[in-house]
Amino acid sequence: MLKPLSADRWNDETAAHLLNRAGLGGPPAAIRKLADLGPDRAVSALLDYESISDPTPAPDWAQPNPDEIRQFRAAIKSASPDEKRTLQRERQRLYQQRMMELRGWWLQRMAKGPRSFQEKMVLFWHGHFATSVEKVRNPYFMWRQNEMFRRLATGNWLQLLTEAGKDPAMLVWLDQAQSRKQHPNENYAREVMELFSLGEGHYTELDVTEAARALTGWSLDLQEEKYVYRSFIHDSGDKTFLGRTGNLDGDDVMAAIVAQPQAAQFITAKLWNFFAGEPPSLELNVALAAVLRTNDNNFKPLLRVMFRCEEFYAPSVIRNQVKSPVQWLVGTSRMLECELPPAVVCWGLLRSLGQDLFAPPNVKGWDGGLAWITTNTLLARYNDAAVLVQGTKESLTADDFTRRPGGPGGEKIEKAVQRIHVGGVDPEKILTPDERANPDTLVAALEHRLLQCKFKGDQEKALRDFLGSKTKFNDADIQAAIRLVMATPQYQVT
Amino acid sequence: MKNEITLHTRREFLRSTVLGSALSWTVPAFLANTFAALQAGAADAATQIATGKDATILVVLQMAGGNDGLNTIVPFANDDYHRARPKLGLSAQDILRLNDQTGFHGALTGFKGLYDAGHLTVVQGVGYPNPNRSHFRSTEIWQTASDSNRVEKYGWLGRYFDNCCSGAAPTVGVTIGSQMPQAFFAKTPTGVCFNNPQTYRFQSHGRPGPGGPDVVEAAYEKMNEVETIAPPADENSGGSIGMLAAAMPMTGGKAVDFIERTALDAQISSDRVHEIAGRVQNQATYPASQLGNSLKLVAQLIGGGLPTRIYYVSQGGYDTHVNQVPTQQRLLKELGDSVQAFVADLKAQNNLSRVLVMTFSEFGRRVTENASGGTDHGAAAPLFIVGDKVKAGLLGTQPGLAPQDLFEGDIKYTVDFRSVYAGVLESWLKTKSTPILGRQFPPLQLV
Repeated sequence: MLKPLSADRWNDETAAHLLNRAGLGGPPAAIRKLADLGPDRAVSALLDYESISDPTPAPDWAQPNPDEIRQFRAAIKSASPDEKRTLQRERQRLYQQRMMELRGWWLQRMAKGPRSFQEKMVLFWHGHFATSVEKVRNPYFMWRQNEMFRRLATGNWLQLLTEAGKDPAMLVWLDQAQSRKQHPNENYAREVMELFSLGEGHYTELDVTEAARALTGWSLDLQEEKYVYRSFIHDSGDKTFLGRTGNLDGDDVMAAIVAQPQAAQFITAKLWNFFAGEPPSLELNVALAAVLRTNDNNFKPLLRVMFRCEEFYAPSVIRNQVKSPVQWLVGTSRMLECELPPAVVCWGLLRSLGQDLFAPPNVKGWDGGLAWITTNTLLARYNDAAVLVQGTKESLTADDFTRRPGGPGGEKIEKAVQRIHVGGVDPEKILTPDERANPDTLVAALEHRLLQCKFKGDQEKALRDFLGSKTKFNDADIQAAIRLVMATPQYQVT
Repeated sequence: MKNEITLHTRREFLRSTVLGSALSWTVPAFLANTFAALQAGAADAATQIATGKDATILVVLQMAGGNDGLNTIVPFANDDYHRARPKLGLSAQDILRLNDQTGFHGALTGFKGLYDAGHLTVVQGVGYPNPNRSHFRSTEIWQTASDSNRVEKYGWLGRYFDNCCSGAAPTVGVTIGSQMPQAFFAKTPTGVCFNNPQTYRFQSHGRPGPGGPDVVEAAYEKMNEVETIAPPADENSGGSIGMLAAAMPMTGGKAVDFIERTALDAQISSDRVHEIAGRVQNQATYPASQLGNSLKLVAQLIGGGLPTRIYYVSQGGYDTHVNQVPTQQRLLKELGDSVQAFVADLKAQNNLSRVLVMTFSEFGRRVTENASGGTDHGAAAPLFIVGDKVKAGLLGTQPGLAPQDLFEGDIKYTVDFRSVYAGVLESWLKTKSTPILGRQFPPLQLV
């Protein structure tokens, strides 16, 4: 179990696998570079991101703004019902703009930032502590949570679980901010165990009600936009939770949870599934959990073992994971060395593929795996590929989005969309003159860069026939060929 | 034109030969039945071919989040109810009276209309033993029809497809939405899903390649008709994945096989769906909501003769821990009005006699309201059956609400939801329920 992969298996295929899974993929040159480093230094190049500076500035609104809130509240108080509605609509519009900016901000970090492994971890934690702006309705809270995941991306399990519980977005999302000692709200108490740390069947219903009592007092200062402990709503009576008795509070609950061996197994299984694309065998997971526990519940040493071990490079693991929509979108832009489309276009694309960032379908997050693929989302991938690669001949208007299925509604993005342009892929940048003139070398180059495996059956012939229907093909034809490669089953896996 | 027919046939051929035993709607039903009977090893696997013209259709409507059943079918005259719900309790003037004890939530005018017309049954107190209060686990239990202490992999509708629909067109099960519900998970993946027929097809995009859009589309079709599709991988065995990967080097085993299959289903179904949605007009006005749009589309597909036995639609938002009143009001209004429009539409099409709607929600809510103007996760709740020939009225008994009648503050079930499923399977889909539900549940008499 968990033996390091031998150096003689380190090649372009295994290096590409590491870059795709621990990061978000890249062009052939980036894969080559990792392959040249050897396995130890390749893993370190991704994992030890602390030494790489990431100067991305926060959005300018990303801080508590008590004045803004005070003014808004005062204005609402003295307003007529009509004015009230106008004020609320204006604020909603402002928040929507900020959310759009936030989506673009994060996607750019994933696509272009220097720490792709850290961003991949943020994506993992976002799916794990799945919190949606649909209920939280506060862009600053959503940004703050995202930054917390980044700060603790490979940190300590207990610290992360505790901070995630005191996180303002979470306090709103699972109603903990509303819980009072007279009537404890069980929502967070239940989900923290069921979905975040232990899994169903590893606690009793009594544990849920007792944890809900202990958690009372964890609250939110809406004015200052931060966590606050309020002793007057805390139930200070005795509770019994997971075998501990006393006047327990929220911190005690989190400590009791992480002390359970199951808390380690739960999270290592989820991490393995996320990165390896399949649930670990019981034996493997026990070994992974042991690594986490012997390292004082710090994730970094565990992740290093994971990305270094033989099991991670097993034939059943390589190229057997369905790309998540984010991986598909960001990975495509990295692989094809093209810009991501504007945030609003990315939003529409990701929604049509089933992964709306900052708005997971529910607190369980995205199911992922094969569930990413339905007849609906597969056709959407095939069609969205055209927008990404071939770009838009003319600028898009808000109308183009209102016609999309599940795309942003016209009333939501308003006229703010204005005219948007998607550049598409530049064949000159990623292909040699020979590849752009010779169908044989072009097909081989696309196979290598995009599929990272061989075409199947008649696929290669179909692509050749497509290119061969004209004696000389131009850049637009090459873009169409790239899109066709992306419209295959193999492109959907990594 | 000729080319189109060839292509169509080629796709059908691919599906039938590669995926085994698949026959399309182009094959007369009796022939299809004959072939299916010849192939079926199991004696009780009576294949149900959906012709799109005469077979019965089930529409499953999920109310996701756990609807507060107590404020849906309201025991407005019950003192225990009002004691437990000082703020949220509904009184005689808030409800649509069914009898001197019970009434619909005031927003359910649509359901009241259907009830009065004899098209709606309320099944009271539906749940299961050892109820689970987790959304996900309880939804899974409903979706897989499992006991609460046993985890099942396949959905109850998936097992229906496996048992009764082998060889059917991929559209035998249709989900309106972008995610397939677990209820559809089957040994042989079956069913398609989409939310907008306008975009549910391969689009050549603005810039055609050499030779125009047809060439792009032809290339796409070829590149997705992979001839080396392996039989579905064995459930749960790591070994078989290794073998698959070895037999097909560099193709990535199981995930890709699944996608190839889905790609084929998408090709086969998208033309048909697109054609129907462009042709069939709705004959009722639906509320402008996601559920309204979903049912509107289902009505079009039924009217257009899509060969489908099961449609699946859903409405979310019922998890009302906080400030329940306005949320539930809006959702129930949307629900009742949408279903009422759907029934009117089907009636105008002359298809109502073929369609049955069944609602479900993963649980009801706690009898006692919480301090946030909402309710927490509970257990048993009513569900609704809608159709032309249903036994209209109230079925089952309303469970007691007195503290001694409750279990940990929750309503005890009086009807096992699997009895409802058994009733739907036996009396509506006309198939034996035991192979699908795992054992015999007394089928509820619904029609």
